[in-house]
Amino acid sequence: MDKLTIAGRVFGSRLLVGTGKFASPQVMAAALEASGAEIVTVALRRVDIDNPADDTLREIDRERFLLLPNTSGARSAEEAVRLSRLARAATGINWVKLEVTPDPYYLLPCPVETLKAAEILVKDGFVVLPYINADPILAKRLEDVGTATVMPLGSPIGSNQGLKTRAALEIIVEQSNVPVVVDAGLGLPSHAAEAMEIGADAVLINTAIATAGDPVEMATAFKLAVEAGRKAYQAGPRASVRQAEASSPLTGFLRES
Amino acid sequence: MKSLKVNGVEQQFAPDQMPGTLAVLLDVLGVGPATVVAEVDGRVVRRDEFDRTELKPGQQIELIKLMGGG
Repeated sequence: MDKLTIAGRVFGSRLLVGTGKFASPQVMAAALEASGAEIVTVALRRVDIDNPADDTLREIDRERFLLLPNTSGARSAEEAVRLSRLARAATGINWVKLEVTPDPYYLLPCPVETLKAAEILVKDGFVVLPYINADPILAKRLEDVGTATVMPLGSPIGSNQGLKTRAALEIIVEQSNVPVVVDAGLGLPSHAAEAMEIGADAVLINTAIATAGDPVEMATAFKLAVEAGRKAYQAGPRASVRQAEASSPLTGFLRES
Repeated sequence: MKSLKVNGVEQQFAPDQMPGTLAVLLDVLGVGPATVVAEVDGRVVRRDEFDRTELKPGQQIELIKLMGGG
């Protein structure tokens, strides 16, 4: 598969994997290995003073995986900027997945606060990967501000509904000059393949892998689906048409036409 | 007694037990993860600065770590 470049850094995998919801650190590590992912997202939370030694990320080889911290939990630009600065101090790198989700029910990202935070963070030297609704105008505005990617959603986080935003995603892919990473809502490998087939540069999967009956097998399935979808996109899929077009020649000897 | 507010909870220390630095506080509390970062009265402090970050009674400290997330 061809390489993915984000902010000048080159990756061999087009599958990003989130590290939430895994049953154990060991299962997580095995699933990450099987996925082939090189970028894994993480969150920031308060240390639990009653369980201060807890470290769910202890099995992740930080030499191998780029830890991409998110700003989940932020409901305003101000909170997202604060979390980003903490994340930079914790990871030692300046990459951040910007999420501002004021709505607790659908966890949809706020375009106004996201754009505001992106402007501040880019000026502060961050490599910003913003999570957004599939809004082509917002995607261009973020690109203009200097974000490294755009990360439009397929459907609400953790919903497994697939590419409900397909028509808008196609416009984003057509217009974007930065990598388009489809994030959120992809529940099946076929959803990931579909995103890649329409030209997404990468996808991010968490819930669908972490909560599968066998997360390691599911991680493998997503890896293959992303590769298949990318190849199909590069191979140039033909448009769908309403009427049949025979694959076999119809000129024949059974009857006179 | 002297106190620090750690992650929103008041922690009391006898005057001679008051942690002198952030590094000592983490040790006293048994905080494990390598990715812990702190805010002291709103100022971000990296892990490699913990042992030279002196604490004063009454300060508000947030201890934050990386954990699983999407």
